[in-house]
Amino acid sequence: MKQVPVKLEHNGKWMSLKIGFEEDKIIIPEPISEEIKIKSIDDIEEKKNMLIISTKNNKNFKLASVPKVLLILKRIILMGCSAYRLTAYFMSPAIRGGVMISSAKWEKGAIAVLNTGIWFVSKEKQICIPLDEVSGIDLTKREVQGKESDVVQINHIENDEVVTSFVLCPLTTLQILFNYLKDTTKDLDVSAGELDPVSAQVAMLVYSGMDTHAIENMINISNKQIESIYDKLIKTGLVEVVMTRREVKLTTKGVRFVSEAVKT
Amino acid sequence: MGRILVVDDTMFMRTLLKNILFSGSHDIVGEAEDGEDAVTKYKALKPDLVTMDVVMPKMNGIEALKAIMTEDPNAKVVMCTAVGQEQMVKLAIKTGAKGYIVKPFQAPKVLEEVNNVLNS
Repeated sequence: MKQVPVKLEHNGKWMSLKIGFEEDKIIIPEPISEEIKIKSIDDIEEKKNMLIISTKNNKNFKLASVPKVLLILKRIILMGCSAYRLTAYFMSPAIRGGVMISSAKWEKGAIAVLNTGIWFVSKEKQICIPLDEVSGIDLTKREVQGKESDVVQINHIENDEVVTSFVLCPLTTLQILFNYLKDTTKDLDVSAGELDPVSAQVAMLVYSGMDTHAIENMINISNKQIESIYDKLIKTGLVEVVMTRREVKLTTKGVRFVSEAVKT
Repeated sequence: MGRILVVDDTMFMRTLLKNILFSGSHDIVGEAEDGEDAVTKYKALKPDLVTMDVVMPKMNGIEALKAIMTEDPNAKVVMCTAVGQEQMVKLAIKTGAKGYIVKPFQAPKVLEEVNNVLNS
């Protein structure tokens, strides 16, 4: 049995210990004394250097370690847990922020669909797309080795950037994957008629990274109008407030200060 | 910093691109709303780089790219199109495009691509 050093959360505190692992189980020593069957794991989430492992009997294990250790653990879990798995080719990321990545290539590997995310696993990579960060799914065609092939296109948010990934596998499997993703992310669907054209333009400008002042100038609308559009976008769940900017005017003391300052 | 010609048939997209490029300290030397206009303005303005929409009336972006490359084989053209039309990439790159942007795009990535092409 191999052993790796990790930090594990127990009763709200992090403790350093060595966990053992084999192809079918993870063994956590005293004082936790747990044996996690890999098949009993139905979800893993990754947050920075931390893995959250959830089992079918509703137990959660939070563990942190160096990337090399997490890479080994993730591989064992993803290939043995109770996820829906399929062999596929994937390209991730293919487009980042609207710019095509010229070095992107198809990689052969597996796709594991878990409760909170989809994982692309190849020899070199383990990429997770959390389901709550999937901004779009499409069944489309793409040229692969000179031939038009059906692919699933997944748009997702990664570090505030919109990233596009592609999955290639037999059409029937693609349809299962597409339907599953469509269904699990249906709460994010927006109908085209839900927004008026100006609000839609504002949403696109926010997407492009424009701030409020730039948007006002670009489409020539007042601050009052943009505030009302923001209210509409917040109400429909399309945007969230990240900062409230204040407008100020000088007091008498301020006017005196500025007047004095220009004399020196 | 580069002198850039922005080509797109929608004023909204042209304005957005101009704002993004301007924020990256580039000069917008002109704008065109179709392929024919783009070729005419390229000949007259000799910009350092062109951002070229693909689907446009009169003459599309690929035809305009061909005409510009015939006029100036060293022209730097970044193609710009909607999601789902990425298949045009191969054709555009074969024709001589130096970069490709997919709408909708994010400002920092557009500037990164434009700067990469300008410095290439």
